[in-house]
Amino acid sequence: MGDFLDPDLISDLPQSIIETILIQLPIRDAVRTSILSRKWRYKWSTITQLVFDEKCYPTCNDRELVHKSVVEFITRLLFLHQGPIHKFHIVNASLASCPAINQWILFLSRNDIKDFNLELGEGDFFRMPSCFFGCEKLTRLELSRCELYPPASFKGFSCLKSLNLHQVLISPEAIESLISSCPLLESLSLSYFDCLALTVCAPNLKYLCLEGEFTEICLVDTPLLVELSVAMYMTDDVAEHMEQSSTCNFVKFLGGVPNLERLVGLIDFTKYLSIGNDLGHLAITYNYLETIEMYQVSFEDMKEILVVLRLITSSPNLKELHISGSSNISAGTYAAGMEFWEKECPSDSILSQLKLVKLTEMSGVPHEIEFIKFLLGCSPVLETMSIIPSMYDMECQLKMLVELMKFRRASSKAEVYFIRGD
Amino acid sequence: MSEIDMSVINPEMMKPYVWLQTSDDSIQQVEQEIAMFCPFICQEIIQKSMGSSKNCAICLPQQVSPAMLSLILDYCRFHQVLGRSNKERKSYDEKFVRIDTERLCELTSAADSLQLKPLVDLTSRALARIIEGRSPEEIRDIFHLPDDLTEEEKLEPLRNITDDPRIRLLNRLYAKKRKELKERERIKALSKDLFTPYNFKSSGLTLAQNVEVEEEHVDERSVDDLLSFINGNDGDQKGIKTSKNKKKNRRKKDQQKNSSLKEASVPEKKEEVNGHNNRHHSSEADRPQKLTGKWKILPAD
Repeated sequence: MGDFLDPDLISDLPQSIIETILIQLPIRDAVRTSILSRKWRYKWSTITQLVFDEKCYPTCNDRELVHKSVVEFITRLLFLHQGPIHKFHIVNASLASCPAINQWILFLSRNDIKDFNLELGEGDFFRMPSCFFGCEKLTRLELSRCELYPPASFKGFSCLKSLNLHQVLISPEAIESLISSCPLLESLSLSYFDCLALTVCAPNLKYLCLEGEFTEICLVDTPLLVELSVAMYMTDDVAEHMEQSSTCNFVKFLGGVPNLERLVGLIDFTKYLSIGNDLGHLAITYNYLETIEMYQVSFEDMKEILVVLRLITSSPNLKELHISGSSNISAGTYAAGMEFWEKECPSDSILSQLKLVKLTEMSGVPHEIEFIKFLLGCSPVLETMSIIPSMYDMECQLKMLVELMKFRRASSKAEVYFIRGD
Repeated sequence: MSEIDMSVINPEMMKPYVWLQTSDDSIQQVEQEIAMFCPFICQEIIQKSMGSSKNCAICLPQQVSPAMLSLILDYCRFHQVLGRSNKERKSYDEKFVRIDTERLCELTSAADSLQLKPLVDLTSRALARIIEGRSPEEIRDIFHLPDDLTEEEKLEPLRNITDDPRIRLLNRLYAKKRKELKERERIKALSKDLFTPYNFKSSGLTLAQNVEVEEEHVDERSVDDLLSFINGNDGDQKGIKTSKNKKKNRRKKDQQKNSSLKEASVPEKKEEVNGHNNRHHSSEADRPQKLTGKWKILPAD
């Protein structure tokens, strides 16, 4: 009907454009184009990017049926596909571990897979088959809820730039060996790791994100590291065990990262760094470090405060500082060791670039007050300081506010916001 | 290419205008700075020194009509200004692609021929948005696509996507046929003692047979299970069982054949039914098996 008169608008566009269009469609819509017309029958089959997300699930309440349907869909699609597959993602799809995945990975390993993301849903972990380690062109890998057992003959992914493992079971030796055998690795993220002593040796690494229960972290060869984010869960017995060790965690961890630009420490990170700290003067300066965020800093532990101070004073270009206090403090603790502040913070120290300070979970303990005094007094270009107290008692808040009012401000432009919670 | 480089290469190129010839052979003058935004034009100027006068105007690819050139130049004119924020650019882009589909396709083609990748990506995304979520009829209507696939061809790659009503209907028919067949098998199996068990090889697997009534389940492809077995799927008992079931079903069908031919033969997936299936053992049900009906039921792999 009118097909003869109206020319086909789109089917004769170059295949590269058709593929650009199809890649931007949800995968089911892309496959459906095969019934548009004779010319379109196999246009979809050469697309190099396959992303299976929640949109490819049929609406149905029977979970098993849905799962079976998705598994069959993917298997059939791969069977009909032609040519290389560079990107294969299964995300947000609540896929459960099943044998078909082995076949998909085998297929991908023979088709130049570069970007592979497998996110499994609740249930058993999936054990990656040995053919997976033959994916030589892999540049980006993200796994969730899998098990990795690299064979002894595995020499690493020579093109891998980004590695993200979330809730992945892998032995400590295997993960260290994997990291060090990927020479181009730039971005590494490990989360939900348990009881791991980790040594990271990655000469090209720029972005590192660690989250889990680590017993020890050593950054051995990471001179190019730019961003670091660590959420460290320390159980009490681990902490005790560490107290006995003589090496300084701070140096082991942050000793070899001169190019660091952003540092984020969560949960017990400051505590971890404080162990073994010899309180000596730090030999390193972080000339590029512009943002520091530390959470759960216990202002009752002098060693933790010292860690924070060391970081701040070793970063001449620090612009932004976020400190969040510890929630484990009982307000009104008697302050011991106030002479610490005179010793560690000479009045002539200057934080010449610091512009923004945000302090949250402040309980009003004396050391916190001294810390604020120090910051206000040494920041000539400070623009904004926000203080968010954690206590609800009006009386305590008022006491804190009165103390803060006394402090000398080095910056005439500094605005101090005392933000009282709801 | 900085301006200084360009003037060193050819002082002539500092002239602010270039001459471009579009698909209808008309020639127009365009600000050089803006035209250079297109890699194709850039190449023509630098490598072939074209475009400096009306006589040696740059011949644009035939996909570029004057109207398309005008649109493309508008795009270049906006984006080559450095000071614009990302928000501004995005907003301009969204308005830019609000044109009718025919022009959008033409624009995509023209931009691609001039190798202007950002514009190709933008128009492709707009076309993808048009296609997304629409039914095949709507898409054919919008893009004037001929509806030239046969009914069967339309179903082939999509057999498992159950939201097409035609497929749902067919699946229901298949399911019904499958059920009928199973019923017959079950009845046959009840009188199994009369059968002599056969030992046969099927794709390398030798199975011992105890002919027993298997519980109802959907046909799985046995080759698929076999492959997963080869691929080291230890402990996939279900898979192995499934293939056994399949073999049994097939064997039953085969036994009818064999009982008349008295030879063990390797069963094909789509059986070489040669008419012998119509013969039954005396104890069986009298319903003759429809040859063609059974043929259709087998899973189309």
